[in-house]
Amino acid sequence: MGVPALFRWLSQKYPKIISQVIEEKPEDVDGQQVPVNMAGPNPNGEEFDNLYLDMNGIVHPCSHPEDRPPPATEEDMMVAIFEYTERVVNMVRPRKLLMIAVDGVAPRAKMNQQRSRRFRSAQEAKQKDEDKEEFLKMLKSQNGGDLHEDAAAMVQKKTWDSNAITPGTPFMDILAASLRYWCAYKVNTDPAWEKVKIILSDATVPGEGEHKIMEFIRSQRSSPEHDPNTRHVIYGLDADLIMLGLATHEPHFRVLREDVFFQESKARTCHICGQKGHIAEACKGEVKQKDGDFGEKDRALADKPFIWLHVSILREYLEAELHVPQQPFRFDLERALDDWVFMCFFVGNDFLPHLPSLDIRENGIDTLIAIWRDNLPLMGSYLTKDGHVDLERAQFILDGLAKQEDAIFRRRRETEQRRDANAKRRKLEEQNRNGQKSSNGNSRTPGGRRGSPDYSSPANGVARGGKAKDPVFAPPNLPLFVPGRGELTKEERAVTHDMIVNRGAVYKANAANKSVAAALKSQFLGGNQSEPPAIGSNDVSEKDVEAEDEQGDVAEHAGPTDTPISASKKRKAELMEDDDAGTPGRDSPVAGKPPVDSDEPPPDNVRLWEEGYADRYYETKFHVDPKDIAFRNQVAKSYVEGLAWVLLYYFQGCPSWTWYYPYHYAPFAADFVEMDKMEIHFDKGKPFKPFEQLMGVLPAASNHAIPEVFHPLMTDEDSTIIDFYPEDFPVDLNGKKFAWQGVAILPFIDEKRLLDAMATKYPLLSAEEHARNEKGRDVLIMSDRHPLYEEIATNFYSKRQGAPKYKLNPSVSEGLAGKVEKNEDYFPQSSLTFPLGEGLMPNLEEDHSISVHYEMPHSSHIHKSMLLRGVKLPPPILDSADIAATKGRANNSGRSFGGA
Amino acid sequence: MDNFAIHPVSRFAGTSAAIRRPKEIAYFSYDDKHDFYLDERSLRYYYPPNIGADLSKGFESFQQLDDTADDHLDSLLKTIIDLERRTGTKCAADIITWRGMMTKIMATPFDNMNGFEMNATRFQVGKPKAVVASSPFIEENHEHKLESRKAQHGQPSRPGAPSQDLMSYWGYKFETLSLIPDQWNSTPREFIERREDMVVNNYAQYCSIVKTGIGKARLVIGGEVDALWDCKPENKDEPINWVELKTSAEIENDKDVLKYERKLLKFWIQSFLLGVPRIIVGFRDRNGILQRLEEMETKDIPGLVKKRGKGTWDGNLCINFTASFLEWLKQTITSEGVWRIKRRERSPMIEVFKTEES
Ligand SMILES: [Mg+2]
Repeated sequence: MGVPALFRWLSQKYPKIISQVIEEKPEDVDGQQVPVNMAGPNPNGEEFDNLYLDMNGIVHPCSHPEDRPPPATEEDMMVAIFEYTERVVNMVRPRKLLMIAVDGVAPRAKMNQQRSRRFRSAQEAKQKDEDKEEFLKMLKSQNGGDLHEDAAAMVQKKTWDSNAITPGTPFMDILAASLRYWCAYKVNTDPAWEKVKIILSDATVPGEGEHKIMEFIRSQRSSPEHDPNTRHVIYGLDADLIMLGLATHEPHFRVLREDVFFQESKARTCHICGQKGHIAEACKGEVKQKDGDFGEKDRALADKPFIWLHVSILREYLEAELHVPQQPFRFDLERALDDWVFMCFFVGNDFLPHLPSLDIRENGIDTLIAIWRDNLPLMGSYLTKDGHVDLERAQFILDGLAKQEDAIFRRRRETEQRRDANAKRRKLEEQNRNGQKSSNGNSRTPGGRRGSPDYSSPANGVARGGKAKDPVFAPPNLPLFVPGRGELTKEERAVTHDMIVNRGAVYKANAANKSVAAALKSQFLGGNQSEPPAIGSNDVSEKDVEAEDEQGDVAEHAGPTDTPISASKKRKAELMEDDDAGTPGRDSPVAGKPPVDSDEPPPDNVRLWEEGYADRYYETKFHVDPKDIAFRNQVAKSYVEGLAWVLLYYFQGCPSWTWYYPYHYAPFAADFVEMDKMEIHFDKGKPFKPFEQLMGVLPAASNHAIPEVFHPLMTDEDSTIIDFYPEDFPVDLNGKKFAWQGVAILPFIDEKRLLDAMATKYPLLSAEEHARNEKGRDVLIMSDRHPLYEEIATNFYSKRQGAPKYKLNPSVSEGLAGKVEKNEDYFPQSSLTFPLGEGLMPNLEEDHSISVHYEMPHSSHIHKSMLLRGVKLPPPILDSADIAATKGRANNSGRSFGGA
Repeated sequence: MDNFAIHPVSRFAGTSAAIRRPKEIAYFSYDDKHDFYLDERSLRYYYPPNIGADLSKGFESFQQLDDTADDHLDSLLKTIIDLERRTGTKCAADIITWRGMMTKIMATPFDNMNGFEMNATRFQVGKPKAVVASSPFIEENHEHKLESRKAQHGQPSRPGAPSQDLMSYWGYKFETLSLIPDQWNSTPREFIERREDMVVNNYAQYCSIVKTGIGKARLVIGGEVDALWDCKPENKDEPINWVELKTSAEIENDKDVLKYERKLLKFWIQSFLLGVPRIIVGFRDRNGILQRLEEMETKDIPGLVKKRGKGTWDGNLCINFTASFLEWLKQTITSEGVWRIKRRERSPMIEVFKTEES
């Protein structure tokens, strides 16, 4: 679950939860690389038992990296994944267990978001390819048909469709086989891996990666032999993994992730030619500089430092923050933590749009905590219990928020107006400065590079109700031209991709300024020259760029993207001009003022800051009569269901595979009424088959990832479900700045129609395709030197074979509970071969690993949010000043301090 | 009459005699009416209590077992008979007894204040056709037990101090607060949270019967165990993670340290004998408010007392004393009948004599 800006908010408010990872790196000795010895003590001064990899957080950046050229082939992608995974494993050095979890088929509730992301991603990929083609033509005509071969090849290479990273695709099949190979290979060749058990849950096993990990942890906790002092580390890109960490109630829990604050002053690669040093709009199709990119291609990613997020320290902060003096019942930290996690859902999750009045950037979570603290005595107990929300108590929270809603919208408006005014002023100043300086077109706003924040200093600038930081921010050293190519002529300088391709009206969500490219374009087209090509006032530097794909919220603080606003995003936005759905919110022009030109965003017809906004909201967004209050309550009821669903999903596992929130927008807090009378019931249902999910989330443009027999369903005019696959779709900014933050208005999939349509095609699938559509199982891999090997091998492969399902003995398995079953695809002592041939990875003549199916223990009981007996809490890290400050802030919030 | 000299205890110092890890061979339960069952229905699991709980709460509704009637070794015998019937083999041992008897014997070198009186009986269990020689059974002399209890309760408590009855309630209350009837995963949250309001009842017990050995003596010992830490291992040869629950006053001064160390001797012996690896001590203040918990491993206790404490006792010495005494006892009780094993308060010896011919 990606909650943009959550990580930044957490790290500012609870600064001590973060610390740097101390990483041992491979050393060069006389030109020979000496690998890290994982068997050695962990350089972080502490050992860990279990490492969980939320694998999509590795697969995405390794297959389509943002800061270097993409791997040329899928084999190369696999090798990149191996290298990166190994680096992560070496950082943690798990001593007992490594779990690799790849996203499998997701619950229906998640598919709406997946669908929206994939439709946009395909649209963008298509756009990129079109841009490249047009650019190629342009270059040819410029250079009299003469174009360097390399450049042409680079430009012509199709953008790899990251939609292939969806369960059921041939790519995921390759990934699963590669990971199986690699785990076995490591177990065979690295002595430190001999002691580790590996659970591989590939995309054929239903469930999102991180939730499969959660299910595993819950299953182990339910086993009486589980060691309550197990030290867990989870790697992933989403900041909300820390909430999953809290939700386990295992206190020895850390999240490991890249330090996304850490920026190197290099720009990202151009998405057209794959080179560094310029943005796509400035791409000239230059020949790649051999010395640079290839030599250091791995360095860029390898050098990005990692950080720990300590769940145990967040627990300390929250213990101070959530303790309400004189509350009329016993303080139970574990239950208070659950309430906190629940309140975070309101502000953003993958399954529901966030409430209009709650935004993490406006400290929406603090607003809720203040309301919660105020109402705790009235509620009489906690909001949630073991993943179940008490609706009567939840009503108190929503009522509290409803009282503040109007004021929040007005305050937001004021803040924006103030900020816009500041931005305008700064822009003017800058123009003046630039005018005084030489007009070399290379001047920059002083801004300095954005480095890692000083984690040792207390959170700053988090004013209640205000913005955490000034959103208008200079982009760091964004070079316009390829550095060091001074021989370019003036004309060459002037001709850039964007000037050619982007002739149409360019809509920019950023109302404050024109982009560099747009400015150049207007020059080129001989238009208004009054705007100099100034760099530095573009909004791309606003780092709260929402993740566009499953890379989680990594992009939220990323440096400048490859383009200020990619052409495709502009296109998407253009579409919106035909959509009469208005966009309420912050960056709209002054009310009443008609859009002057296409560079202005569409008018905001909702105007949340003006009375009557709710009527306008429901009329514009939902197209229902403003008098239809029952409809609003129905929306709110669905939303409550959604909250209940998400809470169960986090704490007990997926309550329903089929439930989803059937609207594109959230209700207002004021629309939640009579919640105590609501009855919520979920039908468990069953997960989609991989092909069903593919048909449910992929656009027709990504049909290469789907068996051919289904293609007509996506493209034929007389397909019964053709309406699921629109070529174009509107994107509603809904108050956000950028098109990619907006709401993609896509029709919801009707499960029955989808399955009926697909049923006609199933008999036509090949045997191989059928196999890819099957539900898979978790696999347990270990060395034949592992103590558990003997037991398993004896049971399955000796003359005296035991039961087909063998229950692991936790005293031999080091606490791992569950059952194993013979894997018919595995033959003892056979050879180990890299499934992709190519010779990129070695083959082993004799495989010294074993592979069995693994089944987690299943409990029919509710998983309780409690510490386990025998747990030894780590020594506290916060000092009395930290605790006093946290308590002070909490006490000074809420009703008696200006809150409603 | 034969005497076994306790002193000088120094002759028992040194590395400990061979000990055999206790292994559970049978068990029985008393339910909450104190009815006997040959099953594990009263087996409990440990889940920590809330700190700050009031151990006096519910004292007035305490359902206390009346154990003034002498039920001898009945339950132990019944269970062993059942075991012999099920396995078809004789349960052979040099001594069969309750854990409490062995505790008294084993503590003897460092306990001058308390005497004991036991009866040892040699007779055949089960069908008379059993061929193996009969094992001596040892049980407490019931009259002596009642007398010494009366003496203890007769002692006036310090003014303002809680009564003996209340203090023994604290121990049971602590158990009620710390136990759950099933594994944590299968126990509803509501049960765990309502333990403070539950009526305390000491009728129910789970008794484990173990086979063990000290020196050359093979023993079968029965005793109540408080709780399981995790679950019984599937492999019966693996040790069981039992938990023993104890309460103790907070340690405030040197005198308390000494007192606590003497308590630790009992804690250690009791747990040692049944193979209970873990002891959880609930420390309470003078008013019976639970202050904190301390988890300790049984095997570490003698070391703790030696290295960090005042060294008032020596675990190895207890083991060696017991090994010697049992060896001697084996040779002393040679014929069938009832024998008395007796130590008077502060006496330097244990006397053994025959009271009844069979
Ligand atoms: Mg006890």
